[in-house]
Amino acid sequence: MGFEAFTFILMSGILLGGLYALMATGLAVVWTTLGVFNFAHGAFVTLGAYMAWQVSQSVAGGFGFLIAVATSVTVMFCLGFVLHFALIKPFERNQNVVLLAVVSTLAAASIIENAVLLNWGPRDKQIAPPITSKIDFFGASINTFDFVILGIALFALFGLALFLRRTTVGRTLRAAAQNREAAELMGLNVPKLFAITLGLSAATAALAGVFVGSLRFINPTFGADPLMKSLIVVILGGVARFTSPIYAAFVVGIVESFSAYFLGLYWSPALLFAMMIAVLLIKPEGLFGHRSKTL
Amino acid sequence: MTKPLLELRGLSGGYPPVSVFRDVSLSVKQGEHVGLFGPNGHGKTTLLKTIAGVLDPWDGGIYFEGKRLNAVGKMQARVSHNLNYDLFRKRRINALDVVDAGLIYVMQGNLLFPEMTVEEVLDIAPRAARNRPGVAQMRRQIHDLFPRLRERWTSKIRYLSGGERQMVSIAVGLLAMPRLLMLDEPTLGLSPKLRIELSEAVRNIRETGVPLIIVDQNVEFLTSLVDRLILFDHGTITREIPAENMPKHAELMDMMFGGAH
Amino acid sequence: MKYAPPFQRTNGFLPVLIVFVILLLAPFVVTETYSRHTLIIVFIYAVLASNWDLSLGYGGIVNFAHLGFFAIGLYTYAIFAKVIGIDPWLALLLTPLFAVGFAILLAIPILRLEGIYVILVTIAATQLLQQIVVSQSTYTGGTSGMVLLPRLTIGDYNLSSDNRIGYYYVALGLMAASTFFLYKLERSAVGRAIKALRDNKYYAISRGVSEARTRLLTLSLSAIFPALAGGFYGSYLRVASPDVFGLGFLTTALSVLLLGGVATIWGSLIAAFVVVGLSQLLADYGAWRNISIALVIIGVVVVYPGGLYAALQEIWSGFDRAKTNLIAAFRRKAGAADRARAMGIRDQLIETSHGKVSVCDTRSGEQTIIFIHGNSSCKEAFRHQFHALRDQYRLVAFDLPGHGVSPNADPEKDYNLAAYAQIVRDLVDRLKLGTPVVFGWSLGGYVALEYAAAGNPISALAICGTSPVRTYPDDIPKGYIASPHMELAGKRFHSPFEKGQYAKHTIGLPKQSEPILWQAVWRTDGQAREQAFAKLKTTNWQRQMRVIREGSVPFTMINGSKDPFINHTYCASPEFNTAASGKPITLDGVGHATFLEGPEGFNAVFRRFIQQQ
Repeated sequence: MGFEAFTFILMSGILLGGLYALMATGLAVVWTTLGVFNFAHGAFVTLGAYMAWQVSQSVAGGFGFLIAVATSVTVMFCLGFVLHFALIKPFERNQNVVLLAVVSTLAAASIIENAVLLNWGPRDKQIAPPITSKIDFFGASINTFDFVILGIALFALFGLALFLRRTTVGRTLRAAAQNREAAELMGLNVPKLFAITLGLSAATAALAGVFVGSLRFINPTFGADPLMKSLIVVILGGVARFTSPIYAAFVVGIVESFSAYFLGLYWSPALLFAMMIAVLLIKPEGLFGHRSKTL
Repeated sequence: MTKPLLELRGLSGGYPPVSVFRDVSLSVKQGEHVGLFGPNGHGKTTLLKTIAGVLDPWDGGIYFEGKRLNAVGKMQARVSHNLNYDLFRKRRINALDVVDAGLIYVMQGNLLFPEMTVEEVLDIAPRAARNRPGVAQMRRQIHDLFPRLRERWTSKIRYLSGGERQMVSIAVGLLAMPRLLMLDEPTLGLSPKLRIELSEAVRNIRETGVPLIIVDQNVEFLTSLVDRLILFDHGTITREIPAENMPKHAELMDMMFGGAH
Repeated sequence: MKYAPPFQRTNGFLPVLIVFVILLLAPFVVTETYSRHTLIIVFIYAVLASNWDLSLGYGGIVNFAHLGFFAIGLYTYAIFAKVIGIDPWLALLLTPLFAVGFAILLAIPILRLEGIYVILVTIAATQLLQQIVVSQSTYTGGTSGMVLLPRLTIGDYNLSSDNRIGYYYVALGLMAASTFFLYKLERSAVGRAIKALRDNKYYAISRGVSEARTRLLTLSLSAIFPALAGGFYGSYLRVASPDVFGLGFLTTALSVLLLGGVATIWGSLIAAFVVVGLSQLLADYGAWRNISIALVIIGVVVVYPGGLYAALQEIWSGFDRAKTNLIAAFRRKAGAADRARAMGIRDQLIETSHGKVSVCDTRSGEQTIIFIHGNSSCKEAFRHQFHALRDQYRLVAFDLPGHGVSPNADPEKDYNLAAYAQIVRDLVDRLKLGTPVVFGWSLGGYVALEYAAAGNPISALAICGTSPVRTYPDDIPKGYIASPHMELAGKRFHSPFEKGQYAKHTIGLPKQSEPILWQAVWRTDGQAREQAFAKLKTTNWQRQMRVIREGSVPFTMINGSKDPFINHTYCASPEFNTAASGKPITLDGVGHATFLEGPEGFNAVFRRFIQQQ
């Protein structure tokens, strides 16, 4: 393998890592705040991508892409906000909330997938990328748009972190995540904060969906793969810190692109799942962190 | 005759289907400091949590400055054990209303928000008061009340000792600008030195004129702070003792358990 | 001690038998292929979901790799029957072997994990399995799967001929075998260990349940029948494709499980008919079918987590309550003369703060004696006393709410010791009974103690067939001799056999001589039994003990030597027998209902006790 190919694979791994980081952070934020795993996360990615496709069909060009992103992210935020009250809040006091939420979000994923199928049909679609030029990067020819995506993804994550750490609303959100009862006694509207969290998570999923949709073909069931990858990332990285799943996302992205090159397409996911099971067996709290979950 | 600040009329509650306290009537006047004493597991904390709006009261009324905080009428018993009642039944009291009214409850043995720093916690605390006047002044007062916290300003709560956590909890309660503060076992599990420091702080809060309801197992601590002691046994108020004849520990034990302890 | 009657003695026997016979005869009515096909699919999902319930419901292990067992069964059958080419029946029998092997591998990570991590690791395991199947296209056909798998045949007879009648009976047999297996397993020692580990893990471990072994068993045992179902599915549809790993299969099986209700075998069986029937009805609508199945899942989980089986039980319970209430109302009128003959006086309905109760009051006499009957009995238990003692004392006996001819009452508020004691207090006030002597039998003994402990007027207290409790529930196994019939006392639904057993042991006399008491067992509101026992834990037992220990109220215990429940050694301990009361009085040759079986001896002793005061 030449240096060029190596750079190319590494860069595609890093790009994948950026996308996975965006998806997995959304999943991790919900897990640490609401205490449930959202199995509709992949469906959020799909729906976000399709909505962006719809908008970009009517408004063309780079400006159209921006509008598509904005619309998709806003609508998905609202949808996430509403879905909290339908899927998770009804049994927040139930001791089996983790299992019940898995079930209700799985069902929601099925509904979203089938609704997408009804509305947009089963055929593959692609969002036209606004930038099509390529640049030379250490000998490898790489799409300029890939760098833009990576930049926006990291910027979005940085913004989210800043929001949670520095703003009062972000801090109340973390407070509600860490101790629900104490937050309520402090006068915080916990259900609303939780709904905001699910909304934020859905918004990041939509952003990731738009990017995935402009890199690959999308179809109603393609959300299963982002969901599985996000799960792997969250398990691998753990949720001890905001950054833990982000590190893990880049590890997964790079491992995936190298194993796809060396082992073939079928074995690359198998390797990742084996890694996930191994981590769950040896260090269930994740590779980057202690046994705790925080925001 | 001043109007009572907090009034409970025939309040009952518990964790359905287990009734924990029954028919509790109590009134606290402006500027009064009330102690609540009783054995563990007899419903003191459940009572306070119900007043604070965390649990739904079953029956009776909670009035704060003449305004009713909980829904009128009895709580309906569950007819079916399989239906998800959280979905259909409206809450009979809203914790946000209670906090808005200025009735602040400080939980016992509170872990608060383990991964946030003292600074961050005290930053969001005044949200409960919706930034009532006097918060800025109270913020300065916190520094004087709990000098120990100044050193730990940027530490995460989970690295604090039990006493320091308790201080943060009380500080959070104070920053909500309480009109009545309920302290649930503030000295639980503290070392003697910290206990002295904490009771000093509570005494200072008392001096500022904030009415208090204090639950504690330490009789000397309790009797030195309150104007009135209420004995709580098996979910009901069994006796009220005014400040003039505050009992000693042994006398109190005799009253509660009739020598059977 | 667990009370587990044989299946033919339970209430479920008749409905199950009827449904099974209907299913056996169904092919003679349902002759077209499509309906039979639907029923075969129903049976397969019923097997899948009910076995899933073993790990998810009973074991508390949320195993999302359950469909993996099915897939392994399918592919094992496909590979052995088609690629290797052995006899299809043998290939079918081999399927559980591989599924159990996978279950054992799966148990290793699950043993270390809890909660959500179990879900994640099992999902990952399924995905891994799918990747392996897809990548080995030489043996498994890869993503396109395998087709034209061999059919099952008996001799030369093809099971799918005659409109698939052969496959129908094999599927029905599979479901019946799986249900029998699960039923037996749930009631075995292993089944109890599985449930114990779910309910209170550390307590179960401390009592000697091996966590590793039990969890391994749970997973392995739940793999057997799904694997057989998978193999059968392969032989029936003759296709093995990676679709079985997909979300569609998982959500359908999950909806069967949840709609039926978690931790019940029967629920899954009922729900399989509903869900598969619905999805076959909507088969032509494609995406709408999946959406409606998902909506069913969300609806059940959000609104009614109990599921269909719990709903059936609730309907049955409501029906049972209405029935017992009707019986009581009917007997109040129709049996009034019989009861008046037994008691020597007519009864009347009196309103109390906990509902109306039927009361017998002799009205004359200085000193009053109040009699309180036991669980699932009635006031006529004291008929001998009413005849022997009415010249000297004023006698009052009443039917507790939900018992005898008193109407049923609110289960949450009115069926507990405190409410029963309050009823006694209300009667004392209403009928102006002064300071009565209170006599309580069995559950009534606790009511009498509670009445005294609450500080109500009382001049003496006697209990019979009751062991005083210092701490609940620790003293229950000490005070009573463990027997299966104790369990019946707090059980909501009794089968006719159980009613008979209960009546025999508590009354001690045959039905011919005590028809009213035997009838009372049939009439009792099941909720009254269940609630009175469930709420024992809220009673203030120390307060009752204080009454006995302080001796402010004269107290005695009168027990029968042949009482099948009472531990006499426990009752004789000095704590309950102060100087005032002396040793418990034991009457020879009589059982639980001393006053009924040996009235002369009892009356003499009881009269002496009252006269001493």
